[in-house]
Amino acid sequence: MLGPEHIGSLLRDALRNRHLGDADIYLTATTQALTRFANNRIHQNVYHDDAVAHVRVAYQKRQGRAVTNNLSPDGLRSAVLQAREHASLMPEDPDFPGLPSASQSASVHAYDEATASTGPEHRAAVVGMVCRKAADAGLEAAGFYRTGVTELAVFSSRGPRYCYHAGTFAGLLITARSDDSAGWAKGGGWRIDAFEPEALADEAIDKAVRGRNPQSLESGEYPVVLEHYAVDDMLEALSFYGMGAHMVQDGRSWMNDVIDQPAMSPLVSIWDDGLAPSGWPVPFDAEGVPRQRVNIVTDGVVQGPVHNSYTAAKAGVASTGHQRGATGGPTATNLFMRPGDRTTDQLIASVDRGLYITRFYYTRLAHNRGCVMTGMTRDGTFLIENGEITTPVKNLRFTQSYVDALAGCQALSNTAHLNLNEAGVAMHVPAALLENWRFTGQTV
Amino acid sequence: MDPLIATALDTARQRGAEYADIRLVSNREQRIVVRNGVVETMTADESVGLGIRALYNGAWGFASTRELTSAAADQAAGQAVQIARASASQNGAGMTSEQLLGAPVTGRGSYATPIGIDPFTVSLDDKLALLLAADSEMAAVPQVSARMDNLVFIREERTFANTEGAHVSQTIYEAGGGVQATAVGNGETQRRSYPQSHGRQQGCAGWEYVVAMDLPGNARRTAEEAAELLTAEPCPTDIATDLIIDSSQLALQIHESCGHAVELDRALGDEAAFAGTSFLTPDLLHNFQYGSEHVNITADSTDATGLGTFGWDDEGLPAQSTDNIRDGQFVGYLMSRESATRLGLSSNGCMRASSWNRIPLIRMTNVSLQPGAWTLDDLIADTDDGIYLETNRSWSIDDRRYNFQFGTEIGREIKSGKLGRLLRNCTYTGITPEFWRSCDAVCGPEYRQLWATPRCGKGQPGQIAHTSHGASPTRFRNVRVGVMR
Repeated sequence: MLGPEHIGSLLRDALRNRHLGDADIYLTATTQALTRFANNRIHQNVYHDDAVAHVRVAYQKRQGRAVTNNLSPDGLRSAVLQAREHASLMPEDPDFPGLPSASQSASVHAYDEATASTGPEHRAAVVGMVCRKAADAGLEAAGFYRTGVTELAVFSSRGPRYCYHAGTFAGLLITARSDDSAGWAKGGGWRIDAFEPEALADEAIDKAVRGRNPQSLESGEYPVVLEHYAVDDMLEALSFYGMGAHMVQDGRSWMNDVIDQPAMSPLVSIWDDGLAPSGWPVPFDAEGVPRQRVNIVTDGVVQGPVHNSYTAAKAGVASTGHQRGATGGPTATNLFMRPGDRTTDQLIASVDRGLYITRFYYTRLAHNRGCVMTGMTRDGTFLIENGEITTPVKNLRFTQSYVDALAGCQALSNTAHLNLNEAGVAMHVPAALLENWRFTGQTV
Repeated sequence: MDPLIATALDTARQRGAEYADIRLVSNREQRIVVRNGVVETMTADESVGLGIRALYNGAWGFASTRELTSAAADQAAGQAVQIARASASQNGAGMTSEQLLGAPVTGRGSYATPIGIDPFTVSLDDKLALLLAADSEMAAVPQVSARMDNLVFIREERTFANTEGAHVSQTIYEAGGGVQATAVGNGETQRRSYPQSHGRQQGCAGWEYVVAMDLPGNARRTAEEAAELLTAEPCPTDIATDLIIDSSQLALQIHESCGHAVELDRALGDEAAFAGTSFLTPDLLHNFQYGSEHVNITADSTDATGLGTFGWDDEGLPAQSTDNIRDGQFVGYLMSRESATRLGLSSNGCMRASSWNRIPLIRMTNVSLQPGAWTLDDLIADTDDGIYLETNRSWSIDDRRYNFQFGTEIGREIKSGKLGRLLRNCTYTGITPEFWRSCDAVCGPEYRQLWATPRCGKGQPGQIAHTSHGASPTRFRNVRVGVMR
């Protein structure tokens, strides 16, 4: 770890030039160790760290940028001068509001020493346990176990102001496979004790065992019970294809034409909260603006997108603190979906004939109106008949509007799970019963 | 040899590594994005570091550092061996490095991408002028609500060395650019891109590569087509018809349904938890009709301007060309030293790492469909009823690379051997071998283009590879189209 004092000193010195004008530096430093396994053995096992400074210089209505992982005084000074040169060459942007004003960031505790100090021997031992359990069940296990630390800091010449956050992360992903079936389980969070490795191994193995000898199923519309892994995919897609204000302002978002409209079931409430410790908290954005809780959908009614300082100025509102990286638009990355009042077994019991789906794979936007996605089911797809899971089913392709699907949400489970992906996107979501899902093809 | 490299490899050996390799990488990237007439991004990125792989008792460890000092390299080497020992502790009895990796790799030399004009010597003013000229052309079309154009230039210097004696140095240049227009109206949103989608076309080349694209000269047409699509007829719903697929869409079809399917690490299960496996299992090698006799697909890391073109891969194997599909038969994988040895073969040099802090994985180089002999006019004239599809919009394929569905930005009806109405929201879907077996005509070499896929994801931690695919317009019979909502 570089630590708050060292980073603060580096960035303060880099922006000490009095003739520079307004400038800020967003620094990300990550150490990650990842033990990867397949065919019941460790086949890749890596450690890396990097620290990257994203320098931005504002000059009148212009801004220039430079990025470097050379954190020496010369390296940072050179990046600052490069950003300044870029700014001077830019044409003016009449909508550029300047760098955000100084503000006090909230802090949130999301650092766990036990997670930060996990070594390769511990990761290998956990993976060994998973592989032995899979082998005992006659299966092949694949997946990874990762741990690490992320430090984020923003230093701005406006104020001056300095935000620093250190958070840990851990994740265990397991696929258990036989010749004709697979099961999946994934746990993650900012503490290694946020999940139980043995329980995750059992979950993946159980699915793979029950999934043997899958049957083909005709394409068509079926009610579905989606595990939280599949609901996670839905929220990620809705986030990346439309919860950012830049997409709404361009007319490219699924939100266009449905803001303030009841586009989803009244059971559906979705919000972004970067400060909630039950997620993967990040208290400020890449501009150093404090993360605000933003209601995206409330009781089925679409509320609006998240903002950075640029889109907020265009819309005449305040930034919600959602500039995810140094460039690109604002993004909702700490989403929560309100749980319901049923157990997952009760969701299954209320389906006469439908499908139980563990997760989706390779989902891509087919059309932005309604967020129409195509993708496949994977790692545990089962037929539900008369309220019970009866038969494993070969994976199916779907082409489905995620907005329409959530309009048909009939019930949600009373527990929600954190799904933390490798890019730091965290979705805290329940399982869902949806009235209709359109399956458009089968695989071999 | 650089003392830092020698020190790191010595340390790895002293700590018990039976084999080790090291990569020193210095990457410089310039990116300029103009969005709606405003320069959204103009940035200069620099990333420098080294990564060390170590093999102990048949198990791997890897560590990296951004500090290019002997002390940091020494520490990384020790850490790589420590991690390899942890891997070995759970893996049981391991193989020797020779059993695992096959014959030693001892190549030495240097390579540089052949370029006309170093893009880093061209002024930012010239680059901005090109993008702003293209943007103003798109802005002339009133239905266009969002415009984006961009340029990317990369220079990467890589040095690879291993404990077997290999030591190679390379300087790789990349240049890319593209424009994109999004039109909104009539309750529709439609996008057109030039030269292709996914942001840009890109090649291992210099500034001249971008100039030849003539972005300003093609921007107005691109925007007009986006606007025209708003009122175009929708793709016919859920029918089977004949398709002629243009070379840029076909490039992604090759990438997804052949390139990934012939990666040997997938076929052996190494990517089962993430990218998936492959239906092309080793028992099918030289024993499976992948496509029709018109289908010949080759991996060639010497193909000029391809993003998979280099001097050596990241295990020190020289660039080469090998067949994957010959006369429709599955005849070859993309391989690493370790995976090839498991099949009793030798690597064909497909190990590539996206950065100094990532391990090399089996990645595509330039995996291309070899041209046939048809002219495009003759192929259209020979098609009674079908659709001509251009430019990818969406893509998805299952984890064994069987079931795929693609969408394209634009389609044109073919009726009685002639191009007809414009079609919007076109999709097609199929099963990989059935689809390639339905190929009955490939256009000639004069239509061949080498298209970039600069954002190919694989591996955990994630890596983005830059690959290319050559293709000519090609016809497929009786394909299911029109799956949307």
